[in-house]
Amino acid sequence: MKLKSLGLAAWLLGTCALATPALAQVNIGLLAGITGGAAAMAPEIIKSYEFAVKQVNDQGGILNGQKLVGNVADSGCKPQVAADAATKLVNVSRVIGIAGPMCSGALLAAANSATIPAGVLLISPAATSPEITTLKDNDLVFRTVPSDEYQGQALARTLLSRGTQTVAVSFINNDYGKGIAAAFKKEFEAKGGKITAFAGHEESKSSYRSDLAELAKGGADTLVLLDYGDTSGLTILREAIENGFFKNFVGAEGMKTSAPIKAFGAENLSTFIASAPIPAKSQALDIFNAAFSKAGGDVNGSYVAPSFDAVFLLALAIEKAGGDKTKLPQSLRAVTSGKGEPIMPGEWKKAKELIAAGKEIDYKGASGSVNFDERGDVPGSYGLFKVSGSDYEVITEMK
Amino acid sequence: MDIFSFVNFFLLPGVVQGSIYALGAIGITLIYAIMRYGHFAHGDLATFGAFTALFVAGLLGLSPYAALPVAVVVAALLAIAIDWLFYAHLRRMPKIITTIASFGVALMLRSVVQIIWGVDTTSYTRGISRPENWFGIRVKPHELVTLLVVIGLVIALHLFLTRNKWGKAMRAMSDNPDLALLSGIDNNKVIAMTWVIAGGLCAASGFFLGLNTELRSLMGWNILLPTFAAAILGGVGRIEGAIVGGLVVGVTEELSVLVIPSEYKMLSSFAILLVVLLLRPTGLFRGKIL
Amino acid sequence: MDWLSFTIYPVYLMIFMCIYGCLAIGLNIQWGYAGLFNAGLAGFFAVGAYTSAILTTSEAAGRLGGFDLPFPFGLAGAMIVSGLIAWPVGKICLRFRSDYLAIVTIGVAEAIRLVAKTEDWLTNSARGITGVPRPLGDLPYAQAQLAYLAIVGLILIVVYLLIERQAHAPWGRMMRAIRDNERAAVAMGKNVPVRRLEAFMLGSALMGLAGGLYVHLARTITPDAIDPMLVTFLVWIMVILGGSGNNRGVLLGAVIVWIIWSASEIVTDQLPAEFALKAKYGRMFLIGLLLQIVLRFRPEGLLPEKLRRAPLSEGALSPTGHGARIQAPHKEI
Repeated sequence: MKLKSLGLAAWLLGTCALATPALAQVNIGLLAGITGGAAAMAPEIIKSYEFAVKQVNDQGGILNGQKLVGNVADSGCKPQVAADAATKLVNVSRVIGIAGPMCSGALLAAANSATIPAGVLLISPAATSPEITTLKDNDLVFRTVPSDEYQGQALARTLLSRGTQTVAVSFINNDYGKGIAAAFKKEFEAKGGKITAFAGHEESKSSYRSDLAELAKGGADTLVLLDYGDTSGLTILREAIENGFFKNFVGAEGMKTSAPIKAFGAENLSTFIASAPIPAKSQALDIFNAAFSKAGGDVNGSYVAPSFDAVFLLALAIEKAGGDKTKLPQSLRAVTSGKGEPIMPGEWKKAKELIAAGKEIDYKGASGSVNFDERGDVPGSYGLFKVSGSDYEVITEMK
Repeated sequence: MDIFSFVNFFLLPGVVQGSIYALGAIGITLIYAIMRYGHFAHGDLATFGAFTALFVAGLLGLSPYAALPVAVVVAALLAIAIDWLFYAHLRRMPKIITTIASFGVALMLRSVVQIIWGVDTTSYTRGISRPENWFGIRVKPHELVTLLVVIGLVIALHLFLTRNKWGKAMRAMSDNPDLALLSGIDNNKVIAMTWVIAGGLCAASGFFLGLNTELRSLMGWNILLPTFAAAILGGVGRIEGAIVGGLVVGVTEELSVLVIPSEYKMLSSFAILLVVLLLRPTGLFRGKIL
Repeated sequence: MDWLSFTIYPVYLMIFMCIYGCLAIGLNIQWGYAGLFNAGLAGFFAVGAYTSAILTTSEAAGRLGGFDLPFPFGLAGAMIVSGLIAWPVGKICLRFRSDYLAIVTIGVAEAIRLVAKTEDWLTNSARGITGVPRPLGDLPYAQAQLAYLAIVGLILIVVYLLIERQAHAPWGRMMRAIRDNERAAVAMGKNVPVRRLEAFMLGSALMGLAGGLYVHLARTITPDAIDPMLVTFLVWIMVILGGSGNNRGVLLGAVIVWIIWSASEIVTDQLPAEFALKAKYGRMFLIGLLLQIVLRFRPEGLLPEKLRRAPLSEGALSPTGHGARIQAPHKEI
């Protein structure tokens, strides 16, 4: 037995040594929950990651014309899978930075057991749990998506300012739904709104009509549905519209996907609005949307803009740090300080030249300001959207 | 709460959901009765059936209802193939080994669905179907179809089991296998017949689950626990028990939100299962205890 | 790049093998020795992980905790609580044939997951518990991994030796006697239900221990770690592939299956992106197929249980779900 495991260790060591990449490329990890609970979002996120990698390589590559290689790995939306994948990325693929993972539990495990001890920079585009804010991360964990805390509050204020005083709240019982619902409730009630019903639900039940009947009892005609638009959120929205439980529906960025439009048609979604951590109007977003849809991406895919930003920022930080792993966090802060020549999404060549010339640059994210605070969070700017045709259209900016 | 909202929002969804469970539970109870093991790949076979219907409907441009018979046949054949490939050689071993094998089959079926159709949520029909109002009772057309087809299938199955030679052979096998073998019943044919029925009903349950909501790769695995609860509540080996069990489990799940937080709604079928095992392990209709 | 960093991934693999080894031995006690079909390993694993996390972390607002106990107390607590949870489950289900136990344990795991996900005061609900300490976790990356491997490996060796000793003691012989011929064991005056419950609780306690070992490695626990696929199913394959009834066998199973599971991804990631994505689902298929192949061609596993005399008519695969013999007339179907 012992001999066997020794032999095994030797074999593994051998494979790892062989797998060490050649020096003509720079490796980064692209983690996404390809399998598991959030798998429906993964394809577009990966497309967005790889779109960013392609833009870097098409415009002269990274550092001295080296190729940026994105190693896609599955975080499974599960802590064990994510920790395993991150360990492989860090130690076998030998990446110097990672974009992802998507789920907060997966991020906590991957960061704690692999990337933080290894000193590898990690930028998540979709993990929104407030727990990540307080992680002891040696300044190695960042995210391009704001914490749920902010979005829940912003949504509450926006609804009140639009004259909605009474709502029922239904949230998916996971870290995302629970976090954002709690923040919403606190802010909404503090500012004088009334919540008639507040209930969580499990995903993947096939009928939620009894849940909806309970929620509708209090007499609110607006349902705040904090869920994902391609899983149980879709079912609930369908059943609520079909049975006329509520008149108006409000979602957050999890609901703002193409799935409801595809499933119900825009004509049935005239009273559906959703918030998203996307600025109501920004030149950076327009540039990204145009380029990404030209490349065959779905600009309404969940978290595609933050995903692009995560990879693009990683590349900028690597360029700025000259490929030195230990300097990545400070370089990342340097390219997002808010000072210097603005860089739009996709302007890799310009950024590269400016960095080479020793000038300050400031990246303008497609997902809004990516000026990180001292804990690696972004402040977040939000827009409120409604359905128009087969697409979402901005109604107003959220504060 | 007035009577209409009780019927519309609690009873009716419960009955629809329950009849979907019942279709699955009939298969489980038949397999228990004739082969005497729990078949844990049942949920994922239902998923496969649902996606087959989607595929056929999309390929031929048919309405999903027209694709249902095709899916039923495909799933029935698949069930026989699975039995032949993975279960047949285990028949002489303790039954629990086949149960373990069925876990493996569940896994394989699920990954086949995920490889072929991906993991996105899809649905058979686009758009919203608003319920029709029948004197205050609101029924959607596909709910009505679900109930009618389930009733039809159950009647057909009942006639088959009581009138047809093979149906009688299956019942004989379930009641007393030794006597059945002695009187010249072909063991293999009865088993194949059981798989055809169980597989076909399974595909139908997956189809109706998808029709009433959406199609997902994990939809079948998620209804496995309530389906087993229904079969055991009805009494193992009892077709009528599986139907009543399915309805009870379905309605209880919907009613449970009145008393427990809806986060725990999924546990109501588990609670039923525990109560039955504690108080009346033979189930409502005096089934077998294995 | 220092050479130590090359050891990190193999060491990490081995840490997981040890954790899975612990789960596999726990399941082997239940299935291999007592013939009990537990399909809810993930639940007991989670109870262990949460218990150890709650006992060893410092005060956190809103949830139970703040005990700040040292690591060994966390692990002991994990074992005790998992064992205690197993008691009522066993009480209800051990009277029936094993596939009832299977469906009930699936339900138990689901219930535990829902409680962990919903109850703020107990587990901080869906957000989970972070900041779980790891012994010697402040060392540099490679050294910390090696140190943890040493701890986990040592614990596994101790568990293995104790269980082996127990299995060769009268207790082990009695368990096998009950498993293989319940009526004879009853006739000999053995208290079968109590013995079965003992085996069930002991096995579950070891699953809790594995959960504790995992949580100190990951330093965080969230409800999505309670996964029937990763925790329950893989362990079943390990036990069946390795050889149920033989602790060395199940450990070998843990090594092989975990390598296939974790290292196969390195190979599939070399494929073009589109296939690489599909391959992630494909490896679940392979694991399922592996189980079928083992059951077909080598149902006794790679290292079969050593019996002093030839097994009876049931063939080489000895665990006979309980009650199977009583039902002898039905066996032929």
